[in-house]
Amino acid sequence: MNQSLGTGTLHILNKAPGHPRFIACLSALSGQDSLVLIEDAVLALPDTDTALPEHTVALELDLDARGLSGAAKTDQKISHQQLVQLTEQHPRIISW
Amino acid sequence: MTTLIVIDQAPYGSWAGREALDMVFSLAAFDQPAALLFMGNGVNWLRTAQNAKGIGQKTVEKNLSAAPLFGVEKIFAEHEACKRFMPDTNSRLADIELVASVKDLITRYDHVVFAG
Amino acid sequence: MSTKLSYTLVITGAPWASQAPQTALAFARAAVSAGHRLDRVFLYGEGVHLASSLCAPPSDEPHWPQQWSDFLSDNQIPGVACVASALRRGLVDEREQNRYQLPAHNLRSPFEIAGLGEWVDGTLKSDRVLYFHGSA
Repeated sequence: MNQSLGTGTLHILNKAPGHPRFIACLSALSGQDSLVLIEDAVLALPDTDTALPEHTVALELDLDARGLSGAAKTDQKISHQQLVQLTEQHPRIISW
Repeated sequence: MTTLIVIDQAPYGSWAGREALDMVFSLAAFDQPAALLFMGNGVNWLRTAQNAKGIGQKTVEKNLSAAPLFGVEKIFAEHEACKRFMPDTNSRLADIELVASVKDLITRYDHVVFAG
Repeated sequence: MSTKLSYTLVITGAPWASQAPQTALAFARAAVSAGHRLDRVFLYGEGVHLASSLCAPPSDEPHWPQQWSDFLSDNQIPGVACVASALRRGLVDEREQNRYQLPAHNLRSPFEIAGLGEWVDGTLKSDRVLYFHGSA
Protein backbone atom coordinates (compact mmCIF):
# COMPACT_ATOMS: atom_id res chain seq x y z
CA MET A 1 0.00 0.00 0.00
CA ASN A 2 1.18 3.48 -0.82
CA GLN A 3 2.77 4.91 2.31
CA SER A 4 2.44 8.48 1.09
CA LEU A 5 -1.35 8.47 1.45
CA GLY A 6 -2.80 11.83 2.36
CA THR A 7 -3.59 13.11 5.84
CA GLY A 8 -6.91 14.75 5.01
CA THR A 9 -10.33 13.15 4.54
CA LEU A 10 -10.71 9.55 3.40
CA HIS A 11 -13.20 9.36 0.54
CA ILE A 12 -14.71 5.95 -0.19
CA LEU A 13 -16.32 5.87 -3.62
CA ASN A 14 -18.39 3.00 -5.05
CA LYS A 15 -20.06 4.60 -8.09
CA ALA A 16 -19.00 3.94 -11.69
CA PRO A 17 -17.37 6.72 -13.72
CA GLY A 18 -20.09 8.93 -15.21
CA HIS A 19 -22.40 8.55 -12.20
CA PRO A 20 -23.25 12.03 -10.87
CA ARG A 21 -21.86 11.16 -7.46
CA PHE A 22 -18.61 9.87 -8.98
CA ILE A 23 -18.13 13.22 -10.70
CA ALA A 24 -19.12 15.14 -7.55
CA CYS A 25 -16.68 13.13 -5.45
CA LEU A 26 -13.69 13.80 -7.70
CA SER A 27 -14.40 17.51 -7.75
CA ALA A 28 -14.73 17.65 -3.95
CA LEU A 29 -11.29 16.23 -3.18
CA SER A 30 -8.72 18.46 -1.51
CA GLY A 31 -4.97 18.14 -1.83
CA GLN A 32 -4.39 16.14 1.35
CA ASP A 33 -7.37 13.81 0.85
CA SER A 34 -7.20 10.13 0.00
CA LEU A 35 -9.49 8.28 -2.37
CA VAL A 36 -10.45 4.61 -2.14
CA LEU A 37 -12.21 3.09 -5.13
CA ILE A 38 -14.48 0.16 -4.31
CA GLU A 39 -17.09 -1.86 -6.22
CA ASP A 40 -18.02 -0.21 -9.57
CA ALA A 41 -15.73 2.76 -8.94
CA VAL A 42 -12.64 0.63 -9.69
CA LEU A 43 -13.66 0.99 -13.36
CA ALA A 44 -12.10 4.45 -13.12
CA LEU A 45 -8.62 2.92 -13.29
CA PRO A 46 -8.75 1.82 -16.94
CA ASP A 47 -11.05 4.71 -17.89
CA THR A 48 -9.13 7.04 -20.17
CA ASP A 49 -11.66 9.82 -19.49
CA THR A 50 -11.02 9.89 -15.74
CA ALA A 51 -8.14 11.77 -14.14
CA LEU A 52 -7.58 10.33 -10.66
CA PRO A 53 -5.80 12.16 -7.85
CA GLU A 54 -2.38 11.14 -6.62
CA HIS A 55 -3.56 9.45 -3.43
CA THR A 56 -5.83 6.84 -5.00
CA VAL A 57 -6.08 3.17 -4.08
CA ALA A 58 -8.56 0.48 -5.08
CA LEU A 59 -9.89 -2.69 -3.48
CA GLU A 60 -7.95 -5.54 -5.06
CA LEU A 61 -10.83 -8.05 -4.98
CA ASP A 62 -13.09 -5.60 -6.82
CA LEU A 63 -10.38 -5.10 -9.45
CA ASP A 64 -9.87 -8.85 -9.81
CA ALA A 65 -13.60 -9.46 -10.16
CA ARG A 66 -13.75 -7.05 -13.09
CA GLY A 67 -10.66 -8.36 -14.87
CA LEU A 68 -8.65 -5.31 -13.85
CA SER A 69 -5.82 -6.81 -11.80
CA GLY A 70 -3.41 -5.48 -14.43
CA ALA A 71 -4.95 -2.00 -14.50
CA ALA A 72 -3.54 -0.91 -11.13
CA LYS A 73 0.02 -0.61 -9.86
CA THR A 74 0.89 -2.94 -7.00
CA ASP A 75 0.96 -0.09 -4.49
CA GLN A 76 -2.50 1.06 -5.62
CA LYS A 77 -4.18 -2.21 -4.66
CA ILE A 78 -5.45 -2.71 -1.14
CA SER A 79 -7.07 -5.55 0.76
CA HIS A 80 -10.07 -5.14 3.07
CA GLN A 81 -7.58 -5.33 5.97
CA GLN A 82 -5.76 -2.36 4.50
CA LEU A 83 -9.05 -0.52 4.05
CA VAL A 84 -9.66 -1.02 7.77
CA GLN A 85 -6.20 0.45 8.45
CA LEU A 86 -7.04 3.48 6.33
CA THR A 87 -10.19 4.04 8.38
CA GLU A 88 -8.03 3.85 11.53
CA GLN A 89 -5.73 6.53 10.18
CA HIS A 90 -8.46 8.91 9.02
CA PRO A 91 -10.92 10.24 11.62
CA ARG A 92 -12.87 11.94 8.86
CA ILE A 93 -14.42 9.61 6.29
CA ILE A 94 -17.00 10.28 3.58
CA SER A 95 -18.80 7.41 1.82
CA TRP A 96 -19.98 8.55 -1.60
CA MET B 1 -20.29 17.27 16.29
CA THR B 2 -22.05 18.72 13.29
CA THR B 3 -23.59 16.64 10.52
CA LEU B 4 -24.35 17.58 6.94
CA ILE B 5 -26.89 15.38 5.19
CA VAL B 6 -26.54 15.52 1.42
CA ILE B 7 -29.40 14.85 -0.99
CA ASP B 8 -28.29 14.54 -4.61
CA GLN B 9 -31.19 12.53 -6.00
CA ALA B 10 -34.29 14.03 -7.58
CA PRO B 11 -37.53 13.80 -5.57
CA TYR B 12 -40.39 11.35 -6.31
CA GLY B 13 -38.38 8.90 -8.45
CA SER B 14 -36.87 7.27 -5.36
CA TRP B 15 -37.36 7.21 -1.60
CA ALA B 16 -33.70 7.85 -0.80
CA GLY B 17 -34.10 11.61 -0.36
CA ARG B 18 -37.11 11.27 1.93
CA GLU B 19 -35.23 8.78 4.07
CA ALA B 20 -32.24 11.13 4.20
CA LEU B 21 -34.61 13.85 5.36
CA ASP B 22 -35.76 11.53 8.17
CA MET B 23 -32.11 11.25 9.21
CA VAL B 24 -31.71 15.00 9.52
CA PHE B 25 -34.99 15.27 11.48
CA SER B 26 -33.82 12.50 13.76
CA LEU B 27 -30.53 14.26 14.51
CA ALA B 28 -32.42 17.46 15.26
CA ALA B 29 -34.86 15.56 17.51
CA PHE B 30 -31.87 14.39 19.57
CA ASP B 31 -30.58 17.99 19.73
CA GLN B 32 -27.66 17.28 17.42
CA PRO B 33 -26.66 20.10 15.08
CA ALA B 34 -27.58 19.15 11.53
CA ALA B 35 -27.86 20.81 8.15
CA LEU B 36 -29.03 19.80 4.69
CA LEU B 37 -27.32 20.21 1.35
CA PHE B 38 -29.14 19.74 -1.95
CA MET B 39 -26.82 19.26 -4.89
CA GLY B 40 -26.99 17.98 -8.47
CA ASN B 41 -30.42 16.56 -9.32
CA GLY B 42 -31.32 16.97 -5.65
CA VAL B 43 -31.94 20.70 -6.07
CA ASN B 44 -35.25 19.79 -7.73
CA TRP B 45 -36.55 19.30 -4.20
CA LEU B 46 -36.46 23.07 -3.85
CA ARG B 47 -38.87 24.10 -6.58
CA THR B 48 -42.06 25.92 -5.62
CA ALA B 49 -45.56 24.87 -6.72
CA GLN B 50 -44.97 21.11 -6.54
CA ASN B 51 -48.15 19.04 -6.58
CA ALA B 52 -47.57 15.30 -6.30
CA LYS B 53 -51.18 14.34 -5.54
CA GLY B 54 -51.67 13.02 -9.05
CA ILE B 55 -48.81 10.52 -8.72
CA GLY B 56 -50.01 9.43 -5.31
CA GLN B 57 -47.24 10.93 -3.24
CA LYS B 58 -46.93 13.62 -0.61
CA THR B 59 -45.30 16.78 -1.87
CA VAL B 60 -41.70 16.90 -0.62
CA GLU B 61 -41.90 20.67 -0.34
CA LYS B 62 -44.21 20.14 2.66
CA ASN B 63 -41.83 17.71 4.35
CA LEU B 64 -39.02 20.15 3.80
CA SER B 65 -40.90 23.14 5.15
CA ALA B 66 -40.93 21.38 8.55
CA ALA B 67 -37.11 21.40 8.68
CA PRO B 68 -36.63 24.72 10.50
CA LEU B 69 -39.39 23.80 13.00
CA PHE B 70 -37.62 20.55 13.78
CA GLY B 71 -34.42 22.46 14.45
CA VAL B 72 -32.51 21.77 11.25
CA GLU B 73 -29.99 24.60 11.31
CA LYS B 74 -29.55 25.36 7.66
CA ILE B 75 -30.57 24.33 4.17
CA PHE B 76 -27.92 24.75 1.53
CA ALA B 77 -28.18 24.32 -2.23
CA GLU B 78 -25.50 24.03 -4.86
CA HIS B 79 -25.64 27.26 -6.85
CA GLU B 80 -24.60 25.75 -10.18
CA ALA B 81 -27.30 23.08 -10.04
CA CYS B 82 -29.93 25.68 -9.10
CA LYS B 83 -28.95 27.81 -12.06
CA ARG B 84 -29.24 24.76 -14.29
CA PHE B 85 -32.63 23.48 -13.12
CA MET B 86 -34.23 26.67 -11.79
CA PRO B 87 -32.83 29.67 -13.63
CA ASP B 88 -35.88 31.66 -12.51
CA THR B 89 -35.08 32.51 -8.89
CA ASN B 90 -38.81 32.98 -8.17
CA SER B 91 -39.36 29.26 -8.67
CA ARG B 92 -37.04 28.42 -5.75
CA LEU B 93 -38.12 27.99 -2.14
CA ALA B 94 -37.12 30.80 0.18
CA ASP B 95 -34.56 30.60 2.98
CA ILE B 96 -32.10 28.47 1.07
CA GLU B 97 -28.44 29.41 1.26
CA LEU B 98 -26.73 28.98 -2.09
CA VAL B 99 -23.20 27.61 -2.03
CA ALA B 100 -20.66 28.16 -4.77
CA SER B 101 -18.39 25.33 -3.65
CA VAL B 102 -19.61 21.99 -2.34
CA LYS B 103 -15.97 21.15 -1.67
CA ASP B 104 -15.60 24.05 0.76
CA LEU B 105 -18.92 23.40 2.46
CA ILE B 106 -18.29 19.73 3.24
CA THR B 107 -14.98 20.50 4.92
CA ARG B 108 -16.90 22.55 7.51
CA TYR B 109 -18.81 19.53 8.86
CA ASP B 110 -17.54 16.71 11.08
CA HIS B 111 -19.84 14.17 9.45
CA VAL B 112 -21.00 14.25 5.87
CA VAL B 113 -23.68 11.68 5.09
CA PHE B 114 -25.09 11.04 1.63
CA ALA B 115 -28.61 9.82 0.93
CA GLY B 116 -28.47 6.07 0.31
CA MET C 1 0.04 -2.06 18.32
CA SER C 2 -2.46 0.32 16.75
CA THR C 3 -5.31 1.78 18.81
CA LYS C 4 -8.51 -0.22 18.85
CA LEU C 5 -11.52 1.70 17.63
CA SER C 6 -15.29 1.30 17.72
CA TYR C 7 -17.35 1.33 14.53
CA THR C 8 -20.97 1.68 13.48
CA LEU C 9 -21.62 0.32 9.99
CA VAL C 10 -24.66 1.60 8.10
CA ILE C 11 -25.86 -0.45 5.13
CA THR C 12 -28.28 1.27 2.75
CA GLY C 13 -27.83 -0.98 -0.29
CA ALA C 14 -29.95 -4.13 -0.60
CA PRO C 15 -28.64 -7.63 -1.31
CA TRP C 16 -29.06 -8.60 -4.98
CA ALA C 17 -29.62 -4.96 -5.88
CA SER C 18 -26.14 -3.87 -4.83
CA GLN C 19 -22.77 -5.06 -3.61
CA ALA C 20 -23.15 -3.13 -0.35
CA PRO C 21 -23.89 -6.08 2.00
CA GLN C 22 -20.90 -8.05 0.63
CA THR C 23 -18.47 -5.14 0.89
CA ALA C 24 -19.72 -4.32 4.37
CA LEU C 25 -19.32 -7.95 5.48
CA ALA C 26 -15.76 -8.16 4.16
CA PHE C 27 -14.98 -4.89 5.94
CA ALA C 28 -16.65 -6.05 9.17
CA ARG C 29 -14.69 -9.32 9.18
CA ALA C 30 -11.43 -7.45 8.62
CA ALA C 31 -12.25 -4.92 11.34
CA VAL C 32 -13.07 -7.62 13.90
CA SER C 33 -9.93 -9.59 13.08
CA ALA C 34 -7.90 -6.39 13.51
CA GLY C 35 -9.28 -6.19 17.07
CA HIS C 36 -11.76 -3.36 16.56
CA ARG C 37 -15.22 -3.32 18.11
CA LEU C 38 -18.37 -3.09 16.01
CA ASP C 39 -20.95 -1.25 18.12
CA ARG C 40 -23.71 -2.16 15.70
CA VAL C 41 -24.67 -2.71 12.10
CA PHE C 42 -27.57 -0.45 11.17
CA LEU C 43 -29.73 -1.26 8.15
CA TYR C 44 -31.41 1.73 6.57
CA GLY C 45 -33.56 2.29 3.47
CA GLU C 46 -33.16 -0.54 0.97
CA GLY C 47 -30.56 -2.07 3.29
CA VAL C 48 -33.29 -3.55 5.50
CA HIS C 49 -33.88 -6.34 2.98
CA LEU C 50 -30.71 -7.92 4.35
CA ALA C 51 -32.62 -8.81 7.53
CA SER C 52 -35.34 -10.84 5.80
CA SER C 53 -35.69 -14.45 6.86
CA LEU C 54 -37.52 -15.24 3.64
CA CYS C 55 -34.68 -14.86 1.13
CA ALA C 56 -34.04 -18.21 -0.54
CA PRO C 57 -31.33 -17.88 -3.19
CA PRO C 58 -30.38 -20.96 -5.26
CA SER C 59 -28.29 -23.36 -3.18
CA ASP C 60 -25.15 -22.84 -5.29
CA GLU C 61 -25.23 -19.07 -4.70
CA PRO C 62 -24.05 -17.17 -1.63
CA HIS C 63 -26.74 -16.37 0.92
CA TRP C 64 -25.90 -12.86 2.13
CA PRO C 65 -28.60 -12.56 4.83
CA GLN C 66 -27.54 -15.93 6.26
CA GLN C 67 -23.85 -14.98 6.18
CA TRP C 68 -24.59 -11.71 7.95
CA SER C 69 -26.71 -13.44 10.61
CA ASP C 70 -23.97 -15.94 11.29
CA PHE C 71 -21.33 -13.23 11.52
CA LEU C 72 -23.40 -11.09 13.90
CA SER C 73 -24.27 -14.06 16.12
CA ASP C 74 -20.73 -15.43 16.21
CA ASN C 75 -19.32 -12.05 17.21
CA GLN C 76 -22.24 -10.88 19.34
CA ILE C 77 -22.67 -7.71 17.32
CA PRO C 78 -26.10 -6.01 17.39
CA GLY C 79 -27.82 -5.85 14.01
CA VAL C 80 -30.55 -3.21 13.82
CA ALA C 81 -33.05 -2.54 11.02
CA CYS C 82 -34.63 0.92 11.01
CA VAL C 83 -38.29 0.54 11.90
CA ALA C 84 -39.65 3.08 9.39
CA SER C 85 -37.60 1.64 6.51
CA ALA C 86 -38.49 -1.91 7.53
CA LEU C 87 -42.26 -1.47 7.89
CA ARG C 88 -42.58 0.19 4.50
CA ARG C 89 -40.71 -2.67 2.85
CA GLY C 90 -42.55 -5.52 4.52
CA LEU C 91 -39.93 -6.46 7.08
CA VAL C 92 -41.52 -7.04 10.51
CA ASP C 93 -40.81 -8.75 13.80
CA GLU C 94 -43.46 -10.39 15.95
CA ARG C 95 -44.21 -7.20 17.86
CA GLU C 96 -44.84 -5.17 14.69
CA GLN C 97 -46.85 -8.06 13.25
CA ASN C 98 -49.18 -7.89 16.24
CA ARG C 99 -49.31 -4.11 16.29
CA TYR C 100 -50.32 -3.86 12.62
CA GLN C 101 -52.21 -7.18 12.55
CA LEU C 102 -50.08 -8.54 9.71
CA PRO C 103 -50.27 -12.19 8.58
CA ALA C 104 -46.62 -13.03 9.30
CA HIS C 105 -43.29 -11.83 10.65
CA ASN C 106 -40.03 -12.29 8.82
CA LEU C 107 -37.19 -10.65 10.73
CA ARG C 108 -34.11 -12.84 10.66
CA SER C 109 -32.38 -13.52 13.97
CA PRO C 110 -30.32 -11.86 15.48
CA PHE C 111 -31.52 -8.65 13.80
CA GLU C 112 -33.74 -6.32 15.78
CA ILE C 113 -36.03 -3.49 14.74
CA ALA C 114 -35.43 -0.06 16.26
CA GLY C 115 -35.56 3.62 15.44
CA LEU C 116 -33.10 6.06 13.91
CA GLY C 117 -32.00 6.90 17.46
CA GLU C 118 -29.72 3.85 17.19
CA TRP C 119 -27.97 5.52 14.27
CA VAL C 120 -27.77 8.87 16.08
CA ASP C 121 -26.21 7.03 19.03
CA GLY C 122 -23.63 5.58 16.66
CA THR C 123 -22.70 9.00 15.31
CA LEU C 124 -22.20 10.19 18.91
CA LYS C 125 -20.41 7.23 20.46
CA SER C 126 -18.63 5.23 17.79
CA ASP C 127 -15.15 6.35 16.73
CA ARG C 128 -16.08 5.76 13.10
CA VAL C 129 -19.37 5.55 11.18
CA LEU C 130 -19.10 4.00 7.72
CA TYR C 131 -21.84 3.89 5.09
CA PHE C 132 -22.28 1.16 2.50
CA HIS C 133 -24.58 2.47 -0.22
CA GLY C 134 -25.91 0.92 -3.38
CA SER C 135 -24.06 1.98 -6.52
CA ALA C 136 -26.99 2.52 -8.92
